[in-house]
Formats: sequence, structure tokens, C-alpha cells
Amino acid sequence: MKPYLYLSLIPESLIASHLSPEEFGNYLSVGSQKRSRGQAIYFKLSDAYTEATLKKLGMNADLGRSVGEPPRRSAYLNIYRVLEQTPLEALESIHLTTDDGRVLTLKPGAYQQDLAPRFHLYQEFCPVSPRIISTLEPKAFAQEITDSTKPISLPALVFTELKLEAMAEDPEAKAQNLPYTSLEHMRDCMRELKAKPSKKMKTVVRNFHQDLLYRTLRGGFFVATTGNGFRYFPMPSREELESTFYPWWRSALSSFGG
Amino acid sequence: MRSALLKLFRNRKFSNYYLGSFAVLFLAAFFAKPLFGQATGEVAHSGGEHAFKYFSLFSDPKYTSLEIYSLIAVLGVAVLGLIYAAMLAIQVKAADQGTKRMQDIAAAVREGADAYMTAQRGKIVPLIAIITLVLYFTTQSEEGAFKLGRAGAFLVGSFFSWLVGFVGMRLATMGNLRVAAAARSSYGEAMQLGYRTGTVTGMLTDGLGLLGGTLIFIAYGEQAYEALLGFGFGGTLLALFMRVGGGIYTKAADVGADLVGKIEKNIPEDDPRNAATIADNVGDNVGDCAGMAADIFESYEVTIVAAMILGLASFGHKGVIFPLLVRGIGVLGSIISTYTVKAGPNDNSDSALKSVHNGFWIGSIISVVGFIALGISYLKFDAAYLLNNPMAKAGFPNGDPTQLPVWATFGIANADMRPVITCFIGVVLAIALNKVTSYFTHTTHAPVKSLAKACQTGHATNIIQGFAVGYESTVATVVVIAGAILLSYLCYMGTPPLFVAYGVAMTGIGMLTLTGNTISMDVFGPVADNANGIGEMGYDPEEMEKNEKGSYKKARQILSDLDAVGNTTKAETKGIAIGSAVIAAVSLFASFIAVIAVGSEDKISQMTTEQYLAEAGKLTVAHPMVFIGFLLGGAVPFLFSSMLIRAVGRAAFLIVKECRIQFRDAEIWAGTKKPDYGRVVDICTKTAQKELVGPAFLAILTPIAVGFLLGTQALGGFLAGMILTGQLLAVFMANAGGAWDNAKKFIEDGNYGGKGSEAHKAAVTGDTVGDPLKDTAGPAVNPLIKVMNMVSLITLGVVMKYTVIDDKLPTQSRAIGLVIGLVCLVVIGWAVLQSKRESKELQEMEKQFES
Repeated sequence: MKPYLYLSLIPESLIASHLSPEEFGNYLSVGSQKRSRGQAIYFKLSDAYTEATLKKLGMNADLGRSVGEPPRRSAYLNIYRVLEQTPLEALESIHLTTDDGRVLTLKPGAYQQDLAPRFHLYQEFCPVSPRIISTLEPKAFAQEITDSTKPISLPALVFTELKLEAMAEDPEAKAQNLPYTSLEHMRDCMRELKAKPSKKMKTVVRNFHQDLLYRTLRGGFFVATTGNGFRYFPMPSREELESTFYPWWRSALSSFGG
Repeated sequence: MRSALLKLFRNRKFSNYYLGSFAVLFLAAFFAKPLFGQATGEVAHSGGEHAFKYFSLFSDPKYTSLEIYSLIAVLGVAVLGLIYAAMLAIQVKAADQGTKRMQDIAAAVREGADAYMTAQRGKIVPLIAIITLVLYFTTQSEEGAFKLGRAGAFLVGSFFSWLVGFVGMRLATMGNLRVAAAARSSYGEAMQLGYRTGTVTGMLTDGLGLLGGTLIFIAYGEQAYEALLGFGFGGTLLALFMRVGGGIYTKAADVGADLVGKIEKNIPEDDPRNAATIADNVGDNVGDCAGMAADIFESYEVTIVAAMILGLASFGHKGVIFPLLVRGIGVLGSIISTYTVKAGPNDNSDSALKSVHNGFWIGSIISVVGFIALGISYLKFDAAYLLNNPMAKAGFPNGDPTQLPVWATFGIANADMRPVITCFIGVVLAIALNKVTSYFTHTTHAPVKSLAKACQTGHATNIIQGFAVGYESTVATVVVIAGAILLSYLCYMGTPPLFVAYGVAMTGIGMLTLTGNTISMDVFGPVADNANGIGEMGYDPEEMEKNEKGSYKKARQILSDLDAVGNTTKAETKGIAIGSAVIAAVSLFASFIAVIAVGSEDKISQMTTEQYLAEAGKLTVAHPMVFIGFLLGGAVPFLFSSMLIRAVGRAAFLIVKECRIQFRDAEIWAGTKKPDYGRVVDICTKTAQKELVGPAFLAILTPIAVGFLLGTQALGGFLAGMILTGQLLAVFMANAGGAWDNAKKFIEDGNYGGKGSEAHKAAVTGDTVGDPLKDTAGPAVNPLIKVMNMVSLITLGVVMKYTVIDDKLPTQSRAIGLVIGLVCLVVIGWAVLQSKRESKELQEMEKQFES
């Protein structure tokens, strides 16, 4: 049985498992008895890092299971400051799981900076999870938030950008297809950033406690670490989602009784 | 003894065999007697002045050769309609059936639908057999031919209505697969197949309705009233069963599937892992195809029955033949116009919808031009005609057709174009009702947008706003219907009420002229919906993408577009179904007064205007009995709706439990094992059958109880109250439900936050509340209105002889009436209690779930 190591973002934890990424996602979201449901987002860590970590922890590949026993679904190894201890290059892929256990795998890709002036809405996942409105584009935001010289910074951060439609250009613009609960407050925050150009970011929601609507993702997922570490996991295009990844996309769209 | 009898009747083989034999023998007698039993028919009437003869119109000098040939031509048109339906059915059947996976899914849906129809047939057949016998023995005529005619026509009407529903459903379960298969290559082909599947049912309705009415008239001539009532009642009763059973089935499956699938498990609609998915698709067919087709068929029958009865009593035989000829033109119009509905490979929802609407317009134009041509050539009332049909004189100023104003004659000597004008009013009424329904339920108009807006502030505000929209829509619909009746009245102003009633009946005829198109539009909805489901479950994205890049997305888009078109067309036709029920009921109400006026239904043609006016004048709410009847009648649609809505809730509860259990199976959840779809189909079928009984008894027995216990005036009030609240309630439920449904779609299209937003959650709640209203209770009120009218009319002769409240009757007769009335009340009470109680089977299922 091959062991895998996963870094789960909801909540932040390091988990060893015999389940492959797809099986693991399904298990995390609906459990083994299918009595529960819930979204899951997690990284698969590289085989080399897995081997080294298990070795460091004194664990074997069998994760404590004897021959003939069923595979180990999850063995929690750490639930504190996991991300900052994980090297960027160990993050092999990120997996987005829908409520009913469909899994989409994102691999790292090249990032093209988008320097056009506009607002960005970021959802942070790990180690903290506020929702932030910012005038900084993702890479600059990553650098800013992990800059240890600043009074408020993080050693590492996983975040994603969310769609703002026309509001990205103009806080007063109509927002028809944005399902955010705090839309008016968000506009206030944007107005404030607009009024004070020196201010680069503002918290819209202090603690995110709802499922992420995958249809609102813009671009993909980002990982930032101190010292300008940056990794980008791009989302497939809409066309690809509607054809190649259609079962996942349909499931993602059906969230909240759609 | 009782248990032995029950055992005997519960033995399906026994009942099917004997009841089937009974039906065949009865039908054989019904058809053979006119052909071979002429001599036995020549028994003198009680009055002794007339002798009944089958096919008397062939030898009656009153009928011209042209009229006889025209009637035969109408028969030919009816047959042509049926041939056209058969031709389209062959076309649909010959189309590509897609992959094996798609075929398996379609087969599961078809099996479920068949199982439902079989189970329903088992439940209905005994009741139909009993009613046939009751009709035979209670027909108020000494003439055996009339007894056989009414009971036999009832059987034929029931059979035709069932056949329309059954074939419609069968075709839909065949067409959905072909549409899904065609969508992989062409929008136009898929759209055309879907529409033509609906047209088969539409033309079957047209053909059989016209065939039945015309044959009865040819066989019974001016005594057709007796058989026509039976024919209409048969169609109406079956439609009630189809509507009620189908409505409960479809919504129980839909709500159950949604509650577990979408709300609890967050999986998409039609996800093959959901055990209720097949039942949901079956429900679309049994509810929207079988139910709606039977419903429109009964309206088609009842309006022609009302027009023929009133036509005979007012204008004589021209008044009877004209509606038949109009229907013949309508069938031709439908054949031509439905064939013009086409779409190209690159069409989309808008252009497809335009093509469907254009078809309707083309049919309307053909029909109206045909009516005018027919009126000019046929509706001439010269002195010779008036001499043979003296009652017709009352329909003209001073008894002289030449004194009619120019608008009523089009400047043609002795012509009376008012029936043409009232038919035209009917066509306009159908279009206006389409527009009203569309206004209140379509996403492009203010009411639905207001609901979507209300969703932003939560679930409650959406519900509140939905009520407001629904209530408002009832007013608009009433205004349109009242306007049409008013215009018909104005056409016949100054003439006796029977002529006005004939005008209203002709409005109904005009309204349902394009029944072929209406049903095509309606059935297209569930066919496209099912095709979408088959695409979801049966397409193989990887395989399709391998063969042609982008083909999967394109095919899914086509199915999604067709589904949207189908939703719109289906919603539009609901207005016509409700409107036609009201118009038919108003027309039948005049027949009801006429029967009271002359004391027996077989003397209706001898009625004078004075008699009619005297009886109509007694029906005033100032009379306590009328008012009591009015109150009771007004309450019945509410009780009926409550029984149906409760039934949906109960059935959905069981389905949710079953689906939850199946979802616990890891293999089902992973998609590697097929769920037990049959179990949910079983639950739906059993529940729908069980729940059918209570509302049916309520519809049939309440007017009988009111008639026997409270008298004919109370019964008149009862009908008036029932028509009024029934119509308002039906429109409210249909439109509020439709508006909630589309408000959800409007938000899902990316408004007020789109899918997943708080507004969307509120919209989902509204849609769930509206579902049983718009698809179960609302549509079932239409046949309720007509069944109660028909039952009142059919039993009126007997009721007048045994009314408890009539102190002029002998005590013995009143005692009989009391017993009948009380028995009816006991059965109604039992039915209501039964509708609240769970059957043994369902209790067993619950126990299984709990264990």
C-alpha cells in the first residue's frame, strides 16, 4: 500500500493516507458512511517529501496497518503550523473537492502578472482565513502579506482570487452574479481603498466559514512564502471545465441546492 | 361474505379478465346496436309523438345532402388527423436511438411509466365498470337505446381519454431518447423530433375527440344529448384520474429527488446516483404528458358536448353541425401548422420558440379564415329552415335573421355570423390567456423579476411576493375570461340566455380549435426535460469528445436550450387548460338550468325560453339554499387541493427516506453500482394510486350529496361557487408556482448573486413550495370543475325525483334521496379520512426504513 501525504486546508492539517488523491477527496467530503458532506481542499505532497517526513516521524509505509487490513484512510500527523513547515516545492498538486466528493486536480503552472489597476478579492485559506479586498495583484499581494518586515505578516499563505466582475473596475458597478453575502460592505471597503491609495488592502470578512463557491474562482490558487516564494496552481479554462472536467464542474455548480 | 367478495375483487387476474370482458361486451353492444338493432330502437317515446331511430339524419328531410356530406367529411378529417399522428409516430420511432447506455436509461423511464399506467388501470377499471352500470340504469329515459348510448359513450369517452394519455406518455418515453440522440448532431433535428412527439398526442386528441362527437351525432341525431353527456363524462372522469394520479406522482418524485439530491447531497439534477432520478423522469411523463393530454382531451370533448347540446336547443341542427365543422377546420389547421414548426442546425431557444409560436399563429389564421368561409356558406337561416326549427327564431330580432345588424351578417342575406365571431373570440381568448400566463410566469416580465428581487431579503419575502403575484394573476385571468364571455353575450344580446350560452360554448370551441398545437407545445416540455435527463445520465463525455472536439458541450447546450423552450411552451398552455375548463363549465351550467326547467334531460329540446328564464331567475344568492350551495361549492376545490398537496408531501417523505438509505451504499455513491430505481418508482406508483381514490370520490359524490340532500337550487349554487373558487385557485396555484420556478431560474441565470447566493436559497424554497401547487393541485382543479359539472348534469334527472328538501315529492322518494345523500356523505368522509391515513403498504415501508 502506497502512502500519500496531504496538506489539508480546511482545517490546516498534515494527513497520511493510503487513499489516492481522488479517493482521499471523496473520503474527506462525504466520509466512509456517506452520512456527512462538506467541501475539501488539500495539497498532495511530493513522494520524496512524503518519504522523508514519514521517516522523520518514525512511520512506515503501512501507516500502522498489517497485511490484510483495510487501507488507512487518514492518519493525522500534525494540525499546527503545517503550511509554514512545508517547502513550496513539496506542494505537488492541489485538489478541489465538491460536496458530493468529485475531485479536480490542479497542477502548478506559470504565472503571468496582471498589472492593470483594479480591485482584487482574495480568499485566504491557511493559516488564516479572512476575505480581503486589495488593489494589489496576486503576486504583489503574496509578497506584501509574507513580508516579515511588515508589522502584520504571515510566514506562508494559501489564497485564491475571487471574481468581482465589473466591480473590479468600479465599486459602484452593478453586480448581478456575485453570490457574496457582504456585497455592500465590500463596496464600502473598495471606496475606502479608492479614497486612500496608500492603503493596499482591507478585510471584508474576518473569518471565512462558508463553503467556497468554485464558480467564483478567478485564475486559480496561490501559495506564498516569506522570501518571495510563490507558486501558482491555475484553474482549467471554462471550456475545459465544461468538457474535460464536466462531472466535477456540474457538481460544483450544483452547490447550495442549485 | 364481505371478505370473500373483497378477495375476489382484489384478485387482479379475476378483475382484469371479467371487467375486460364486460367492457368489450358493452362496447360491442354500443356499436352493434346502431348498426343492427334498428328495429329495437323504434320504441315510442313516453309522449308517443316521436320514435327514435339510429342514423335518422340520413333520412330526415331537415338535413341537406351537403350537411350529410360535410359530416362525413368531418369524420374523414378526424381520421386524417389520426393518420397524420400515426405518420409522425412512425417518423419519431424511426429516428436514431443513441447509445446502449442512453437506451437503458430511456427503457428504465419507460418501464416505470408503464408500471404506473398498469397500476392505475387496475384501480380505475372497476370504478369505470360500476359507473357504466349506474349510468345504464339511471338514465332517465324509457328508450333502451339512450341507456345503452349514454353508458356506452361513457365507456368510449373513458377509453379515448385513457388512450390519449397512454399513447401520449408512451410516445414521450420514446421521443425523449430520440431527441437526446439527435441533439448530438443537430439542434433542428432534435427540436423537430421533440415537437413532433408532442404533435402525435395533439393530433390523437383532435382526431379521437372529433371522431367520437361526430359519430355520436351521426348515430343519434337530435337525441345525441344522451350519449354526448356520457361521452363527455367518460373523458372528464379519466382526465381527473390521470391528472390527480400523474400530478401526485410527478411532484412526489420531483420533490423527493430534489430534497435528497440537490439540497441534502448537493448533487446535480438527474445525477444517476440518485435513486429518485428515474421516478422523476417517469413523473414528467405521467404528469405532464398523460395528465395534460387527457385534461385537454376532456375539455375538447366537453366543449363540443356543450356546444352541440346548446346548439340543438337554440339554433336546431345547424347549431349542432357548425361546431363539428369548426372542429374539422381546426384539425386541418393543426395538421398544416404543426408541420411548419421546424428549426435549423444553428437555431437556439429564441428562434425555436419563435417557430413554435409561428406555428400557432399560422394555425390561428387558417382556422379563422376557415370559420369565415364556413359561416358565409353554411350559417344561413332562411324561412324554410326557421319553419323546421322554430326555436331558432328566438335567436333573431323579431324572429327575423334579416334584421340582424350588419356586423352579425357581414352583409350577407339571411346569414348569421355570430357563431363565427364567438369562435374568433375563443381563438383570441386562447392567445390572450397564453399572454397572461406568460406575463406572470416568464422571466422577462416584471412579476417574476419582482419575486427574484424579493429573494434578496429572504425566504419569507419571496413567498409573500409569490402570493401577491399569484393573486394578481387570477384577477387578470378572470378579467380576460369574463371579457370573452361578455363579448359573446354582446353578440347575442337581446336573445334568450340559451343562445348566449351557445355563444359562450362556441367561444370554447374556438379556444380549443388548435388543440393539436396546444398539446404539441405542452408535451414538448416533458420530452425535452427527459431528453436532458437522458443526456445527463446517458452521454459519454469522453467518448464524444474523442470523436469530435466540443461535441459534448454542444449537445448538452442543445438539450439545455430545448429544455428551456419546453418549459416556456408548457407553462403557456396551462392558461388554456384552465380557461377552457371555465368556459366549458359556464356552457354546461346553461344545460343544467335547461334540464331543471323541463324536468328531464330527454325533453331539453322541447324547452321554451320562458321556462328557462323562470328557472334561471330562481338561482339567486338571496335564496338561502342557493347561498348554502354556493358556500359549499366554493369550499370543495380547497379540500380537494389540500388532499392532493398532502399526498405529495407524504409520498416525498417516503422517497427521501428511501434515497437516503440507498445513498449510504458506498458503491452507489461512487457511481460504480446502479441504484435501485425501481423501488422509488414503486413508492411513487403505490402512493399515487392510493391517493387517487379520495379526491375522485370527493369529485363524484359531493354534487350528488348536495343535490339529493339540499335540492337542485343548492346544487346550482354549489356549481357556481365551485366554478368561481376552482378557477381562481387553479390560476393562483399554476401562476404562483410558475413564477416561483422561473424566479429561481432568473437568479440562476446570474442575477441577484446567482447560484449559491442567499437569494438563490430563498428562490429554491419558493420553487419547492410552488411545485405541488403548479404541477399537482392546480392542474387537477380543471378536471374537478368539469367532473362536478358533468356529474350534476347527468344525475339531475334522478336528483329531481328524490330530493329530500322538496316537500312536493312523496315521502318514500325523499327517504330514498336521504339514504343516497347520507351514503355519499359517509363515503366522502371516509375518503377524507383515508387521505390523511397511511396505507398498510406505506406503513410497512416505513417500518422497513426504520429497521
